[in-house]
Amino acid sequence: MASLTIDNVTKSYGQTQVLKGINIAIEKGEFLILVGPSGCGKSTLMNSIAGLEDVTGGRILIGNADITQAAPKDRDIAMVFQSYALYPNMSVRENIAFGLEIRKVPKVEREQEVQRVASLLQIEPLLDRKPGQLSGGQRQRVAMGRALARRPKLYLFDEPLSNLDAKLRVEMRTEIKKLHQRLGTTIVYVTHDQIEAMTLADRIAVMRGGELLQLGTPQEIYDNPVNKFVAGFMGSPAMNFVPCTLVASDRGLGVEITDGAGNPSWLPVPNAERLGGYIGKQVILGVRPEMITDPVPHKAGEAMVCEVPMKVLVTEPTGADTMLVAEVNGVEINCRINPGYSTPVGQVVPLMFDMSKVVFFDPTTEERIDRA
Amino acid sequence: MNEKALPLPETGSVRPVALSFQDRLAAQLPKLVLAPTVIVTLVAVYGYMIWTGLLSFTSSRILPSWKFIGTAQYSKLMENDRWGVSVENLIIFGGLFILVCLVLGVLMAILLDQKIRAEGALRTIYLYPMAISFIVTGTAWKWLLNPGLGLQKTIRDWGFESFTFDWLVNPDMVVYCLVIAAVWQSSGFVMALFLAGLRGVDQEMIKAAQLDGASMPMIYRRIILPSLKPVFFSAFVILSHIAIKSFDLVAALTGGGPGYSSDLPAIFMYQHAFTRGQMGLGAASAMVMLGGVLAILVPYLYSELRSKKNG
Amino acid sequence: MVKPQKTLNQQLLRYGLYVLLGVAALVYLLPLWVMLLTSLKDVEEIRNGTLLSLPGTINFDAWSKAWSGACTGSTCDGIAPFFANSFRIVIPAVLISTLVGSLNGYVLSLWKFRGSEILFGAMLVGCFIPFQVILLPMARMLAMLGLANTVTGLVLVHITYGIAFTTLFFRNFYVGLPKELISAARLDGAGFFFIFRRVVLPLSTPIIVVCVIWQFTQIWNDFLFGVVFSGAQTQPVTVALNNLVNTSFGGKEYNVDMAAALIAALPTLLVYVLAGKYFVRGLTAGAVKG
Repeated sequence: MASLTIDNVTKSYGQTQVLKGINIAIEKGEFLILVGPSGCGKSTLMNSIAGLEDVTGGRILIGNADITQAAPKDRDIAMVFQSYALYPNMSVRENIAFGLEIRKVPKVEREQEVQRVASLLQIEPLLDRKPGQLSGGQRQRVAMGRALARRPKLYLFDEPLSNLDAKLRVEMRTEIKKLHQRLGTTIVYVTHDQIEAMTLADRIAVMRGGELLQLGTPQEIYDNPVNKFVAGFMGSPAMNFVPCTLVASDRGLGVEITDGAGNPSWLPVPNAERLGGYIGKQVILGVRPEMITDPVPHKAGEAMVCEVPMKVLVTEPTGADTMLVAEVNGVEINCRINPGYSTPVGQVVPLMFDMSKVVFFDPTTEERIDRA
Repeated sequence: MNEKALPLPETGSVRPVALSFQDRLAAQLPKLVLAPTVIVTLVAVYGYMIWTGLLSFTSSRILPSWKFIGTAQYSKLMENDRWGVSVENLIIFGGLFILVCLVLGVLMAILLDQKIRAEGALRTIYLYPMAISFIVTGTAWKWLLNPGLGLQKTIRDWGFESFTFDWLVNPDMVVYCLVIAAVWQSSGFVMALFLAGLRGVDQEMIKAAQLDGASMPMIYRRIILPSLKPVFFSAFVILSHIAIKSFDLVAALTGGGPGYSSDLPAIFMYQHAFTRGQMGLGAASAMVMLGGVLAILVPYLYSELRSKKNG
Repeated sequence: MVKPQKTLNQQLLRYGLYVLLGVAALVYLLPLWVMLLTSLKDVEEIRNGTLLSLPGTINFDAWSKAWSGACTGSTCDGIAPFFANSFRIVIPAVLISTLVGSLNGYVLSLWKFRGSEILFGAMLVGCFIPFQVILLPMARMLAMLGLANTVTGLVLVHITYGIAFTTLFFRNFYVGLPKELISAARLDGAGFFFIFRRVVLPLSTPIIVVCVIWQFTQIWNDFLFGVVFSGAQTQPVTVALNNLVNTSFGGKEYNVDMAAALIAALPTLLVYVLAGKYFVRGLTAGAVKG
């Protein structure tokens, strides 16, 4: 295992810059997830680390070795591909042992390594089958086995679960997490699934348009996004963005909102000292759906909690919660409601806004304006 | 946006992993592997084309001479009666050959696509002529079309005394003999192309049309055949290519005769360049043939490339 | 498809369809059948009977004469030596053009580099030019190399103009392989040729069969290169057959002509019958995929 340092890496194809000076450093044993919409450069960055694509500028270090110019085979990296890329003509055993064979590992050791990996991933009964005879989940395991067998310094996972059905994906996600905890491997993992990112990562790097927007722990990214894009990208359903005006009143700093039925309300705002410059101005309020709930008695009376009447537009039961759609200042918002709470469509019901974790963005730059 | 300074290892301790000489060589391997073919193509396709092109502007006869005489060979070619006949023959032969092959090929493909019991065997029979040489085809049809002992005699022996089928020795009709033999050889191929195309047609589209109340002939005419336009296009290009290059069939079936009534440009070129010591004229005729092929091919390749870019 | 109840009308239509297809099949088979019948008759039977009359006794005299006694231009040793020539030309030409084509296709699909697409396009032109434009310079070149009228010369010519097709076949096949397979093998530490040998080649069996059959048929059936570039002793069988049929000494022996034609057609017909599926795939590969 080794640390990974990506030092101001750039890449361009002719005039188009696909990586615009990426800086990321992770410690040995860390699980880094690259997320972002397609075309954000995450796969290019991954391929650059692997050496499958050249970079235009900057350095990539594994441990203390500068591997920017090294051939892929000399980087000591293993990769798990979205399509698994198993060699169709070789058995599972041969697939796992292929990299070792090329590196001239003696046959006995190769077999030991295959056995170790196979028992780790519980694929011993599949060793003599061809990839064509395996299910999607089994192929996924073999692909991981092939990466594990070489004991490389760094593992790359390129959307490894996106070809699995939803149930299997959750299972494998847990499996990968367990493996990481057990083996302490350094992993870079690309995904566009923000739940995968939240559950697996030690640190998440959110990218867009070839730029690194934010690098942080999942909770940091979730609670303290640097801009509206990151805030909207992480979390499902997405954060609600409500345009409103900051007003200073005798109750302190707050925002005024109007629901779909025309009921005006006033909501308090945390971190008022950081928003001084925006008083009287238009801002975007970001509030996560789970912060707008049915009224719960134990929270009532807290400084940042208010009860507000809201007109119910749509309800979407999911079993555990019911998602309720209401309207605030002309935009639809999602609220997470206890299914036991009666919310007839078209009626006005009281909902509880917890403002303690809301965030604010500049409406033009979309950057955070209340960040410490 | 990355506020924290990077915990870079101290510069002194960083060990660069560079590419070895072998790695640099390996990076060039794809180009090295392709190089011989590229060189051979440059020489033996493009170089030779230019060579022939240059030769067509010289007075070369038995041996190449580099005395340039402008476009005299081309004027000579245009005035040459035999060349005129061969071009005329090519237009008749090529036009009929392509038309009949397309019609027969489409028909047979549609008929075979009706969930026929012995489809595999029938397909094999329709296509086998494509596996044999035009020389063999020519030999076989020369025998069949022989007025003295072939089909004409057979049918007369069956009691139709006045039946006449002497196209092979009739200078006005001999070119149609070429059409018959060439269609026999190539129509099965067109059938195979269209059958593959028909099998690729979206079945749900046909179901939808049936639900809309369209009859099968209607579905073929309005939906299936229009969707096979690319196949028509490919078949047309391949068939015209076969027609322009036709040499073997004429050599074996008619030898260009009677007289030179069944000459095609390919035969004209061969005879002038190799047996009559008229190298300059032969080169000029070859260049005209190349022009003909390019006139058909360039629009085709252009549209292919465009559709690929759009698709 | 929906399975409707068949009416009488539909039944009749169905029978008509089978009759039509059957008649067409007979027409396609007729020349082959007539050739076979004629080759088994003697000259007298040919003169007195019709094309379709059966031979009185089956005798293979014409076959043995065609094989080893008929006159083909200057010699009268039958077409056997030329049949052997064809094999001496076809085997190395097919093997080498297939091998080179597979490597080219591998580069052009899985190891693309800047400009490789243009090179591919430039190569494809070789599939389409009328060979008349290269005959004269090629003849000069072979003479310069001392390869005029030799089997080696013919082999070289067939390789030169076959590579465009074999490259096309392999390139179109390899384009369908996932690129990640190559990436995975590179990370596993494998190099260009190692990946080719261990990962790509084992997956190539179908396209190798298609390519070999296509090249075999093309080169065996070639007449133009044979007639231009071969000498009296190195002619391929197609040229010898044409000489046999079109030179007559005294009476024309149609039975010998037909036997010789059948012998010349036999190898490719055999390949077609044994591996027709791959033959058709080769024919349509270039056409449908473009």
